[in-house]
Amino acid sequence: MGRLLLSVLALALLSGGPAQAADAPPGASSCTGCHAPLKVTDSVIPRIAGRKAADIVTFMREYRSGAWPSSVMGRIAKGFDDQQTEAIAAWFAAQPE
Amino acid sequence: MATRRTFLKLASLKLAGAAGLAVPSLASAQGAGRVVVVGGGFGGATAARTLKQLDAKLTVTLVEPNPVYTACPFSNSVLANLREISQQQFRYDAVKAAGVAVAETSATAVDTQARTVTLADGTQLPYDRLVLSPGIDFDWGAIPGYDEAAAQKMPHAWKAGAQTVLLRQQLQDMRDGGLVVMSSPANPFRCPPGPYERAGLIAYWMSIWKPKSKLLLLDSKDTFSKQRLFQDGWAQLYPGTIEWVPLSKGGKVTSVDPATLTLVTEFGSHKADVANVIPPQKAGAIAAKAGVADRTGWCPVEPVAFESTLQRGIHVLGDAAIMGAMPKSAFAANAQAKVCAAAIVELLAGRTPQPPLLINTCYSLLAADYGISIASVYRPDKGLLADIPGAGGVSPLTAVGGLRGQEALYAASWFRTITAETFG
Repeated sequence: MGRLLLSVLALALLSGGPAQAADAPPGASSCTGCHAPLKVTDSVIPRIAGRKAADIVTFMREYRSGAWPSSVMGRIAKGFDDQQTEAIAAWFAAQPE
Repeated sequence: MATRRTFLKLASLKLAGAAGLAVPSLASAQGAGRVVVVGGGFGGATAARTLKQLDAKLTVTLVEPNPVYTACPFSNSVLANLREISQQQFRYDAVKAAGVAVAETSATAVDTQARTVTLADGTQLPYDRLVLSPGIDFDWGAIPGYDEAAAQKMPHAWKAGAQTVLLRQQLQDMRDGGLVVMSSPANPFRCPPGPYERAGLIAYWMSIWKPKSKLLLLDSKDTFSKQRLFQDGWAQLYPGTIEWVPLSKGGKVTSVDPATLTLVTEFGSHKADVANVIPPQKAGAIAAKAGVADRTGWCPVEPVAFESTLQRGIHVLGDAAIMGAMPKSAFAANAQAKVCAAAIVELLAGRTPQPPLLINTCYSLLAADYGISIASVYRPDKGLLADIPGAGGVSPLTAVGGLRGQEALYAASWFRTITAETFG
Protein backbone atom coordinates (compact mmCIF):
# COMPACT_ATOMS: atom_id res chain seq x y z
CA MET A 1 0.00 0.00 0.00
CA GLY A 2 2.88 2.37 0.81
CA ARG A 3 4.22 2.16 -2.70
CA LEU A 4 0.77 2.68 -4.17
CA LEU A 5 0.20 5.75 -2.07
CA LEU A 6 3.56 7.06 -3.23
CA SER A 7 2.54 6.49 -6.84
CA VAL A 8 -0.63 8.49 -6.31
CA LEU A 9 1.29 11.24 -4.59
CA ALA A 10 3.90 11.24 -7.34
CA LEU A 11 1.19 11.61 -9.95
CA ALA A 12 -0.43 14.44 -8.03
CA LEU A 13 2.91 16.20 -7.65
CA LEU A 14 3.80 15.80 -11.31
CA SER A 15 0.53 17.29 -12.45
CA GLY A 16 0.32 19.89 -9.72
CA GLY A 17 -3.30 18.96 -9.08
CA PRO A 18 -5.78 16.17 -8.66
CA ALA A 19 -5.70 13.20 -11.01
CA GLN A 20 -7.04 14.08 -14.43
CA ALA A 21 -7.11 12.17 -17.67
CA ALA A 22 -4.01 14.07 -18.81
CA ASP A 23 -2.06 12.54 -15.93
CA ALA A 24 -2.93 8.99 -16.91
CA PRO A 25 0.16 6.78 -16.70
CA PRO A 26 1.34 4.96 -19.85
CA GLY A 27 -1.11 2.26 -20.90
CA ALA A 28 -4.07 3.46 -18.81
CA SER A 29 -5.92 5.14 -21.66
CA SER A 30 -6.07 1.89 -23.64
CA CYS A 31 -7.91 0.07 -20.82
CA THR A 32 -11.11 2.06 -21.31
CA GLY A 33 -11.57 0.57 -24.79
CA CYS A 34 -13.05 -2.42 -22.92
CA HIS A 35 -13.44 -1.23 -19.32
CA ALA A 36 -16.04 1.48 -19.76
CA PRO A 37 -15.23 4.81 -18.12
CA LEU A 38 -18.96 5.44 -17.83
CA LYS A 39 -21.72 3.00 -17.10
CA VAL A 40 -22.46 0.97 -20.21
CA THR A 41 -25.56 -1.13 -20.15
CA ASP A 42 -25.37 -4.82 -20.73
CA SER A 43 -21.60 -5.37 -20.53
CA VAL A 44 -20.01 -8.47 -19.02
CA ILE A 45 -16.65 -6.69 -18.79
CA PRO A 46 -16.23 -5.24 -15.28
CA ARG A 47 -15.66 -1.54 -14.71
CA ILE A 48 -12.36 -0.74 -12.98
CA ALA A 49 -12.76 2.98 -12.31
CA GLY A 50 -12.95 3.58 -8.55
CA ARG A 51 -11.92 0.02 -7.64
CA LYS A 52 -9.32 -0.41 -4.91
CA ALA A 53 -5.82 -0.12 -6.37
CA ALA A 54 -4.60 -3.13 -4.41
CA ASP A 55 -7.38 -5.26 -5.92
CA ILE A 56 -6.52 -4.20 -9.47
CA VAL A 57 -2.85 -5.01 -8.81
CA THR A 58 -3.81 -8.43 -7.45
CA PHE A 59 -5.94 -9.24 -10.49
CA MET A 60 -3.18 -8.13 -12.88
CA ARG A 61 -0.53 -10.14 -11.00
CA GLU A 62 -2.61 -13.31 -10.91
CA TYR A 63 -3.60 -12.97 -14.58
CA ARG A 64 0.02 -12.38 -15.52
CA SER A 65 1.23 -15.52 -13.73
CA GLY A 66 -1.66 -17.53 -15.15
CA ALA A 67 -2.78 -18.49 -11.63
CA TRP A 68 -6.22 -17.09 -12.40
CA PRO A 69 -7.85 -18.07 -15.70
CA SER A 70 -8.70 -15.29 -18.15
CA SER A 71 -9.26 -14.71 -21.84
CA VAL A 72 -7.31 -11.64 -23.00
CA MET A 73 -6.21 -10.29 -19.59
CA GLY A 74 -3.42 -12.81 -19.08
CA ARG A 75 -1.94 -11.86 -22.44
CA ILE A 76 -2.30 -8.13 -21.73
CA ALA A 77 -1.04 -8.22 -18.12
CA LYS A 78 2.26 -9.70 -19.32
CA GLY A 79 2.94 -6.40 -21.12
CA PHE A 80 3.17 -4.41 -17.88
CA ASP A 81 5.79 -4.62 -15.12
CA ASP A 82 4.99 -4.15 -11.42
CA GLN A 83 5.66 -0.43 -11.42
CA GLN A 84 3.56 0.23 -14.53
CA THR A 85 0.74 -1.93 -13.17
CA GLU A 86 0.75 -0.10 -9.84
CA ALA A 87 0.66 3.30 -11.55
CA ILE A 88 -2.31 2.26 -13.70
CA ALA A 89 -4.10 0.73 -10.70
CA ALA A 90 -3.58 3.87 -8.62
CA TRP A 91 -4.90 6.04 -11.43
CA PHE A 92 -8.07 3.99 -11.96
CA ALA A 93 -8.63 3.86 -8.19
CA ALA A 94 -8.63 7.67 -8.19
CA GLN A 95 -11.27 7.90 -10.93
CA PRO A 96 -14.94 8.35 -10.04
CA GLU A 97 -16.73 5.03 -9.72
CA MET B 1 -6.48 39.66 -44.68
CA ALA B 2 -6.54 35.92 -44.66
CA THR B 3 -7.45 35.91 -40.99
CA ARG B 4 -10.36 38.28 -41.45
CA ARG B 5 -11.63 36.38 -44.46
CA THR B 6 -11.31 33.11 -42.61
CA PHE B 7 -13.14 34.52 -39.64
CA LEU B 8 -16.02 35.79 -41.74
CA LYS B 9 -16.31 32.52 -43.59
CA LEU B 10 -16.28 30.59 -40.36
CA ALA B 11 -19.04 32.77 -38.99
CA SER B 12 -21.23 31.65 -41.87
CA LEU B 13 -20.23 27.99 -41.60
CA LYS B 14 -22.75 25.54 -40.28
CA LEU B 15 -20.85 24.67 -37.13
CA ALA B 16 -22.70 22.73 -34.48
CA GLY B 17 -21.96 22.29 -30.81
CA ALA B 18 -21.44 24.48 -27.82
CA ALA B 19 -18.10 25.84 -29.03
CA GLY B 20 -19.33 26.34 -32.57
CA LEU B 21 -20.32 29.96 -32.16
CA ALA B 22 -16.97 30.80 -30.62
CA VAL B 23 -14.79 29.46 -33.45
CA PRO B 24 -12.32 31.01 -33.53
CA SER B 25 -12.29 33.57 -30.76
CA LEU B 26 -9.78 36.36 -31.29
CA ALA B 27 -7.74 35.05 -28.38
CA SER B 28 -7.48 31.53 -29.75
CA ALA B 29 -6.82 32.81 -33.24
CA GLN B 30 -3.70 34.49 -31.91
CA GLY B 31 -2.53 31.90 -29.43
CA ALA B 32 -2.05 28.14 -29.47
CA GLY B 33 -4.98 25.85 -28.95
CA ARG B 34 -6.79 25.24 -32.21
CA VAL B 35 -7.00 21.60 -33.22
CA VAL B 36 -8.74 20.42 -36.38
CA VAL B 37 -9.60 16.72 -36.62
CA VAL B 38 -10.45 15.27 -40.03
CA GLY B 39 -12.48 12.05 -40.02
CA GLY B 40 -15.18 11.05 -37.52
CA GLY B 41 -14.46 7.35 -37.02
CA PHE B 42 -13.04 5.53 -34.01
CA GLY B 43 -9.81 7.55 -34.25
CA GLY B 44 -11.10 11.02 -35.09
CA ALA B 45 -14.24 11.13 -32.94
CA THR B 46 -12.29 9.79 -29.95
CA ALA B 47 -9.47 12.29 -30.49
CA ALA B 48 -11.87 15.24 -30.72
CA ARG B 49 -13.80 14.27 -27.58
CA THR B 50 -10.68 13.46 -25.58
CA LEU B 51 -9.03 16.76 -26.50
CA LYS B 52 -11.99 18.70 -25.11
CA GLN B 53 -12.08 16.48 -22.03
CA LEU B 54 -8.40 17.08 -21.31
CA ASP B 55 -8.45 20.82 -21.99
CA ALA B 56 -11.82 22.55 -22.23
CA LYS B 57 -10.12 25.73 -23.47
CA LEU B 58 -9.02 24.11 -26.72
CA THR B 59 -10.94 24.95 -29.87
CA VAL B 60 -11.60 21.58 -31.47
CA THR B 61 -13.29 21.17 -34.85
CA LEU B 62 -14.21 17.76 -36.24
CA VAL B 63 -14.57 17.68 -40.04
CA GLU B 64 -16.82 14.81 -41.12
CA PRO B 65 -19.24 14.86 -44.06
CA ASN B 66 -21.54 12.05 -42.87
CA PRO B 67 -24.03 12.89 -40.12
CA VAL B 68 -24.25 9.18 -39.31
CA TYR B 69 -21.23 6.92 -38.82
CA THR B 70 -21.59 3.24 -39.75
CA ALA B 71 -19.15 1.10 -37.75
CA CYS B 72 -17.22 -1.72 -39.41
CA PRO B 73 -16.68 -3.94 -36.34
CA PHE B 74 -19.60 -6.37 -36.12
CA SER B 75 -20.73 -5.51 -39.66
CA ASN B 76 -19.93 -9.13 -40.62
CA SER B 77 -22.70 -10.06 -38.18
CA VAL B 78 -25.06 -7.93 -40.28
CA LEU B 79 -24.18 -10.10 -43.29
CA ALA B 80 -25.07 -13.18 -41.22
CA ASN B 81 -28.38 -11.56 -40.23
CA LEU B 82 -27.36 -11.53 -36.57
CA ARG B 83 -27.68 -7.74 -36.45
CA GLU B 84 -29.36 -4.90 -38.30
CA ILE B 85 -27.27 -2.21 -40.00
CA SER B 86 -29.00 0.36 -37.76
CA GLN B 87 -27.22 -1.21 -34.77
CA GLN B 88 -23.94 -0.22 -36.44
CA GLN B 89 -24.90 3.45 -36.74
CA PHE B 90 -23.92 6.32 -34.49
CA ARG B 91 -24.44 10.09 -34.54
CA TYR B 92 -22.23 12.90 -33.27
CA ASP B 93 -24.59 14.35 -30.64
CA ALA B 94 -22.32 13.44 -27.71
CA VAL B 95 -19.26 14.72 -29.57
CA LYS B 96 -21.03 18.06 -30.09
CA ALA B 97 -22.23 18.08 -26.47
CA ALA B 98 -18.60 17.72 -25.40
CA GLY B 99 -17.93 21.12 -26.96
CA VAL B 100 -16.51 19.92 -30.26
CA ALA B 101 -17.56 21.96 -33.32
CA VAL B 102 -18.63 19.51 -36.01
CA ALA B 103 -18.24 20.77 -39.59
CA GLU B 104 -20.48 18.50 -41.65
CA THR B 105 -18.43 18.65 -44.82
CA SER B 106 -15.26 17.30 -46.43
CA ALA B 107 -11.70 18.54 -46.11
CA THR B 108 -10.32 19.07 -49.62
CA ALA B 109 -6.83 20.45 -49.02
CA VAL B 110 -4.25 21.22 -46.35
CA ASP B 111 -1.82 24.15 -46.50
CA THR B 112 1.04 22.96 -44.31
CA GLN B 113 2.82 26.34 -44.46
CA ALA B 114 -0.17 28.52 -43.50
CA ARG B 115 -1.50 25.68 -41.30
CA THR B 116 -5.01 25.74 -42.67
CA VAL B 117 -7.47 23.07 -43.77
CA THR B 118 -9.66 23.91 -46.77
CA LEU B 119 -13.22 22.61 -46.66
CA ALA B 120 -15.42 21.67 -49.62
CA ASP B 121 -17.09 25.11 -49.65
CA GLY B 122 -13.75 26.91 -49.72
CA THR B 123 -13.69 27.81 -46.02
CA GLN B 124 -10.24 27.70 -44.47
CA LEU B 125 -9.87 26.43 -40.92
CA PRO B 126 -6.65 27.49 -39.18
CA TYR B 127 -4.96 24.96 -36.90
CA ASP B 128 -2.11 24.75 -34.46
CA ARG B 129 -2.27 20.97 -34.63
CA LEU B 130 -4.05 18.91 -37.26
CA VAL B 131 -5.22 15.34 -36.67
CA LEU B 132 -5.95 13.25 -39.75
CA SER B 133 -7.94 10.09 -39.15
CA PRO B 134 -9.33 9.52 -42.64
CA GLY B 135 -9.48 5.73 -42.61
CA ILE B 136 -8.99 3.94 -45.90
CA ASP B 137 -9.64 4.51 -49.56
CA PHE B 138 -9.68 1.72 -52.09
CA ASP B 139 -6.90 1.36 -54.61
CA TRP B 140 -9.30 1.22 -57.56
CA GLY B 141 -7.58 -0.30 -60.58
CA ALA B 142 -5.21 -2.45 -58.51
CA ILE B 143 -7.33 -5.40 -59.65
CA PRO B 144 -8.12 -4.87 -63.37
CA GLY B 145 -11.88 -4.76 -63.83
CA TYR B 146 -12.61 -3.77 -60.23
CA ASP B 147 -13.76 -0.16 -60.01
CA GLU B 148 -16.56 1.70 -58.23
CA ALA B 149 -19.12 0.49 -60.77
CA ALA B 150 -17.93 -3.12 -60.36
CA ALA B 151 -18.42 -2.77 -56.59
CA GLN B 152 -22.16 -2.54 -57.24
CA LYS B 153 -22.03 -6.06 -58.73
CA MET B 154 -19.25 -7.49 -56.59
CA PRO B 155 -19.50 -5.59 -53.28
CA HIS B 156 -16.42 -5.01 -51.15
CA ALA B 157 -18.50 -4.28 -48.02
CA TRP B 158 -15.21 -3.10 -46.49
CA LYS B 159 -16.66 0.26 -45.56
CA ALA B 160 -19.81 -0.59 -43.66
CA GLY B 161 -23.14 0.79 -44.83
CA ALA B 162 -24.88 0.46 -48.18
CA GLN B 163 -22.24 -2.04 -49.35
CA THR B 164 -22.93 -4.27 -46.33
CA VAL B 165 -26.65 -4.24 -47.02
CA LEU B 166 -26.03 -4.95 -50.73
CA LEU B 167 -23.85 -7.98 -50.02
CA ARG B 168 -26.38 -9.32 -47.50
CA GLN B 169 -29.17 -8.96 -50.08
CA GLN B 170 -27.11 -10.82 -52.68
CA LEU B 171 -26.49 -13.66 -50.20
CA GLN B 172 -30.19 -13.85 -49.36
CA ASP B 173 -31.10 -13.91 -53.07
CA MET B 174 -28.58 -16.66 -53.87
CA ARG B 175 -29.84 -20.13 -54.81
CA ASP B 176 -29.13 -22.90 -52.32
CA GLY B 177 -26.11 -24.74 -53.66
CA GLY B 178 -24.53 -21.48 -54.85
CA LEU B 179 -20.88 -20.54 -54.65
CA VAL B 180 -19.73 -17.47 -52.71
CA VAL B 181 -16.28 -16.30 -53.79
CA MET B 182 -14.34 -13.87 -51.59
CA SER B 183 -10.98 -12.28 -52.30
CA SER B 184 -8.65 -10.99 -49.60
CA PRO B 185 -5.80 -8.53 -50.26
CA ALA B 186 -2.10 -8.60 -49.37
CA ASN B 187 -0.96 -6.85 -46.18
CA PRO B 188 -1.43 -4.20 -44.97
CA PHE B 189 -5.19 -3.63 -44.98
CA ARG B 190 -8.02 -2.68 -42.64
CA CYS B 191 -8.91 -5.32 -40.05
CA PRO B 192 -6.49 -8.24 -40.68
CA PRO B 193 -8.83 -10.95 -39.26
CA GLY B 194 -11.89 -9.43 -40.96
CA PRO B 195 -12.03 -11.49 -44.18
CA TYR B 196 -11.75 -14.73 -42.18
CA GLU B 197 -14.41 -13.69 -39.68
CA ARG B 198 -16.61 -12.86 -42.67
CA ALA B 199 -16.00 -16.25 -44.29
CA GLY B 200 -16.94 -18.02 -41.06
CA LEU B 201 -20.06 -15.95 -40.44
CA ILE B 202 -21.28 -16.38 -44.03
CA ALA B 203 -20.73 -20.13 -43.57
CA TYR B 204 -22.68 -19.91 -40.29
CA TRP B 205 -25.58 -18.21 -42.07
CA MET B 206 -25.42 -20.64 -45.02
CA SER B 207 -25.47 -23.62 -42.63
CA ILE B 208 -28.95 -22.46 -41.57
CA TRP B 209 -30.44 -20.99 -44.76
CA LYS B 210 -28.44 -22.32 -47.76
CA PRO B 211 -26.89 -25.56 -46.49
CA LYS B 212 -25.83 -26.86 -49.92
CA SER B 213 -23.76 -23.73 -50.64
CA LYS B 214 -19.96 -23.35 -50.53
CA LEU B 215 -17.51 -20.52 -49.97
CA LEU B 216 -14.20 -20.08 -51.79
CA LEU B 217 -11.74 -17.63 -50.21
CA LEU B 218 -9.03 -16.50 -52.66
CA ASP B 219 -6.13 -14.96 -50.75
CA SER B 220 -3.15 -12.84 -51.78
CA LYS B 221 -1.33 -14.11 -48.66
CA ASP B 222 0.04 -17.43 -47.43
CA THR B 223 -0.69 -16.76 -43.77
CA PHE B 224 -3.28 -14.71 -41.92
CA SER B 225 -4.30 -13.46 -38.47
CA LYS B 226 -5.52 -16.11 -35.96
CA GLN B 227 -5.09 -18.64 -38.79
CA ARG B 228 -5.06 -21.91 -36.78
CA LEU B 229 -8.04 -20.79 -34.71
CA PHE B 230 -10.06 -19.88 -37.80
CA GLN B 231 -9.16 -23.02 -39.72
CA ASP B 232 -9.79 -25.33 -36.76
CA GLY B 233 -13.12 -23.59 -36.10
CA TRP B 234 -14.24 -23.76 -39.73
CA ALA B 235 -13.41 -27.48 -39.90
CA GLN B 236 -15.28 -28.16 -36.67
CA LEU B 237 -18.33 -25.95 -37.30
CA TYR B 238 -18.74 -26.06 -41.09
CA PRO B 239 -16.87 -29.12 -42.43
CA GLY B 240 -16.31 -28.96 -46.19
CA THR B 241 -17.96 -25.54 -46.59
CA ILE B 242 -15.00 -23.13 -46.72
CA GLU B 243 -12.07 -23.60 -49.10
CA TRP B 244 -9.15 -21.23 -48.50
CA VAL B 245 -6.73 -20.78 -51.42
CA PRO B 246 -3.41 -19.18 -50.35
CA LEU B 247 -1.12 -17.10 -52.59
CA SER B 248 1.21 -20.05 -53.23
CA LYS B 249 -1.71 -22.14 -54.54
CA GLY B 250 -2.91 -19.44 -56.91
CA GLY B 251 -5.08 -17.42 -54.55
CA LYS B 252 -4.13 -14.00 -55.86
CA VAL B 253 -6.93 -12.45 -57.93
CA THR B 254 -5.41 -10.83 -61.02
CA SER B 255 -8.60 -9.50 -62.63
CA VAL B 256 -12.38 -9.64 -62.32
CA ASP B 257 -15.30 -9.49 -64.72
CA PRO B 258 -18.30 -7.96 -62.96
CA ALA B 259 -20.66 -8.80 -65.88
CA THR B 260 -20.20 -12.54 -65.31
CA LEU B 261 -19.16 -12.43 -61.61
CA THR B 262 -15.86 -14.06 -62.56
CA LEU B 263 -12.66 -13.80 -60.51
CA VAL B 264 -9.47 -14.65 -62.42
CA THR B 265 -6.31 -15.91 -60.68
CA GLU B 266 -2.92 -16.95 -62.05
CA PHE B 267 -4.13 -20.56 -61.90
CA GLY B 268 -7.62 -20.29 -63.35
CA SER B 269 -10.94 -18.52 -63.07
CA HIS B 270 -13.88 -18.87 -60.72
CA LYS B 271 -17.47 -17.99 -61.53
CA ALA B 272 -19.37 -16.88 -58.45
CA ASP B 273 -23.03 -16.74 -57.54
CA VAL B 274 -22.07 -14.03 -55.05
CA ALA B 275 -18.69 -12.29 -55.25
CA ASN B 276 -17.14 -10.26 -52.43
CA VAL B 277 -13.94 -8.52 -53.55
CA ILE B 278 -11.95 -6.88 -50.75
CA PRO B 279 -9.56 -4.74 -52.78
CA PRO B 280 -6.10 -3.37 -51.86
CA GLN B 281 -6.28 -0.16 -49.84
CA LYS B 282 -4.44 3.03 -48.98
CA ALA B 283 -4.84 5.95 -46.58
CA GLY B 284 -7.92 8.14 -47.12
CA ALA B 285 -7.44 10.73 -49.88
CA ILE B 286 -6.80 13.76 -47.65
CA ALA B 287 -3.58 12.09 -46.41
CA ALA B 288 -1.96 12.25 -49.85
CA LYS B 289 -3.27 15.79 -50.38
CA ALA B 290 -1.67 16.87 -47.08
CA GLY B 291 1.61 15.27 -48.08
CA VAL B 292 1.66 12.81 -45.17
CA ALA B 293 1.32 9.60 -47.22
CA ASP B 294 4.47 7.97 -48.60
CA ARG B 295 4.93 5.81 -51.71
CA THR B 296 3.17 2.89 -50.03
CA GLY B 297 -0.01 4.98 -49.83
CA TRP B 298 0.10 4.92 -46.00
CA CYS B 299 1.36 7.51 -43.50
CA PRO B 300 4.62 7.17 -41.55
CA VAL B 301 4.40 8.63 -38.01
CA GLU B 302 6.63 8.78 -34.93
CA PRO B 303 5.46 6.47 -32.12
CA VAL B 304 4.81 8.90 -29.23
CA ALA B 305 2.36 11.54 -30.50
CA PHE B 306 1.82 9.95 -33.95
CA GLU B 307 3.05 13.11 -35.66
CA SER B 308 3.80 12.65 -39.34
CA THR B 309 7.47 12.16 -40.16
CA LEU B 310 6.79 14.00 -43.45
CA GLN B 311 4.93 17.11 -42.20
CA ARG B 312 5.31 18.81 -38.82
CA GLY B 313 2.15 19.68 -36.93
CA ILE B 314 0.04 16.92 -38.54
CA HIS B 315 -0.82 13.78 -36.57
CA VAL B 316 -2.20 10.67 -38.29
CA LEU B 317 -4.30 8.05 -36.52
CA GLY B 318 -5.83 4.68 -37.16
CA ASP B 319 -5.99 2.70 -40.39
CA ALA B 320 -4.30 5.46 -42.46
CA ALA B 321 -1.09 5.42 -40.40
CA ILE B 322 1.90 3.09 -40.39
CA MET B 323 1.87 2.05 -36.74
CA GLY B 324 4.57 -0.61 -36.77
CA ALA B 325 3.31 -3.79 -35.14
CA MET B 326 -0.09 -2.32 -34.26
CA PRO B 327 -2.79 -3.51 -36.69
CA LYS B 328 -5.43 -1.45 -38.45
CA SER B 329 -8.36 -1.93 -36.05
CA ALA B 330 -11.04 0.15 -34.36
CA PHE B 331 -9.60 -0.66 -30.94
CA ALA B 332 -6.16 0.49 -32.10
CA ALA B 333 -7.51 3.74 -33.59
CA ASN B 334 -9.39 4.51 -30.36
CA ALA B 335 -6.31 3.76 -28.22
CA GLN B 336 -4.04 5.81 -30.48
CA ALA B 337 -6.51 8.71 -30.41
CA LYS B 338 -6.43 8.92 -26.61
CA VAL B 339 -2.62 8.84 -26.57
CA CYS B 340 -2.46 11.42 -29.38
CA ALA B 341 -4.92 13.77 -27.67
CA ALA B 342 -2.93 13.71 -24.41
CA ALA B 343 0.31 14.26 -26.37
CA ILE B 344 -1.16 17.23 -28.26
CA VAL B 345 -2.21 18.85 -24.97
CA GLU B 346 1.39 18.45 -23.78
CA LEU B 347 2.88 19.76 -27.02
CA LEU B 348 0.59 22.81 -27.09
CA ALA B 349 1.69 23.57 -23.53
CA GLY B 350 5.32 23.38 -24.60
CA ARG B 351 5.98 20.12 -22.77
CA THR B 352 7.35 16.81 -24.09
CA PRO B 353 4.88 13.91 -24.10
CA GLN B 354 6.01 10.77 -22.32
CA PRO B 355 6.46 7.54 -24.30
CA PRO B 356 3.13 5.66 -24.31
CA LEU B 357 2.10 2.07 -23.89
CA LEU B 358 -0.82 0.90 -26.00
CA ILE B 359 -3.04 -2.15 -26.09
CA ASN B 360 -4.92 -3.71 -28.97
CA THR B 361 -7.60 -6.33 -28.57
CA CYS B 362 -9.55 -7.80 -31.49
CA TYR B 363 -12.35 -10.31 -31.21
CA SER B 364 -13.63 -12.32 -34.16
CA LEU B 365 -16.77 -14.44 -34.35
CA LEU B 366 -17.05 -17.78 -36.15
CA ALA B 367 -20.67 -18.21 -35.08
CA ALA B 368 -23.12 -16.29 -32.90
CA ASP B 369 -21.74 -18.00 -29.80
CA TYR B 370 -18.17 -18.74 -30.89
CA GLY B 371 -15.55 -16.01 -30.40
CA ILE B 372 -11.76 -15.88 -30.61
CA SER B 373 -9.36 -13.06 -29.80
CA ILE B 374 -5.94 -11.59 -30.33
CA ALA B 375 -4.34 -9.06 -27.97
CA SER B 376 -0.99 -7.28 -27.79
CA VAL B 377 0.77 -4.53 -25.86
CA TYR B 378 2.98 -2.02 -27.69
CA ARG B 379 5.71 0.49 -26.89
CA PRO B 380 7.85 2.81 -29.01
CA ASP B 381 11.02 1.09 -30.19
CA LYS B 382 13.40 2.33 -32.89
CA GLY B 383 10.91 4.84 -34.21
CA LEU B 384 7.97 2.44 -34.46
CA LEU B 385 5.41 0.84 -32.19
CA ALA B 386 6.69 -2.64 -31.37
CA ASP B 387 5.20 -5.64 -29.57
CA ILE B 388 6.35 -6.01 -25.99
CA PRO B 389 8.10 -9.39 -25.94
CA GLY B 390 6.38 -12.05 -23.86
CA ALA B 391 3.01 -10.33 -23.91
CA GLY B 392 0.07 -10.74 -26.25
CA GLY B 393 -1.11 -13.66 -28.34
CA VAL B 394 -4.26 -15.40 -29.47
CA SER B 395 -6.91 -17.51 -27.75
CA PRO B 396 -5.75 -21.03 -26.82
CA LEU B 397 -6.23 -23.62 -29.57
CA THR B 398 -7.98 -25.88 -27.09
CA ALA B 399 -10.85 -24.09 -25.41
CA VAL B 400 -11.91 -25.20 -21.95
CA GLY B 401 -14.75 -24.02 -19.75
CA GLY B 402 -16.86 -22.52 -22.51
CA LEU B 403 -14.16 -20.03 -23.51
CA ARG B 404 -15.41 -19.60 -27.11
CA GLY B 405 -18.88 -18.65 -25.90
CA GLN B 406 -17.37 -16.39 -23.25
CA GLU B 407 -15.24 -14.57 -25.84
CA ALA B 408 -18.33 -14.06 -28.04
CA LEU B 409 -19.95 -12.35 -25.03
CA TYR B 410 -16.83 -10.26 -24.39
CA ALA B 411 -16.83 -9.23 -28.06
CA ALA B 412 -20.40 -7.92 -27.83
CA SER B 413 -19.59 -6.08 -24.59
CA TRP B 414 -16.46 -4.60 -26.14
CA PHE B 415 -18.50 -3.20 -29.05
CA ARG B 416 -20.96 -1.53 -26.70
CA THR B 417 -18.13 -0.04 -24.65
CA ILE B 418 -15.95 1.26 -27.46
CA THR B 419 -18.85 2.80 -29.37
CA ALA B 420 -20.07 4.45 -26.15
CA GLU B 421 -16.58 5.79 -25.49
CA THR B 422 -16.22 7.06 -29.07
CA PHE B 423 -19.72 8.35 -29.86
CA GLY B 424 -21.41 8.57 -26.44
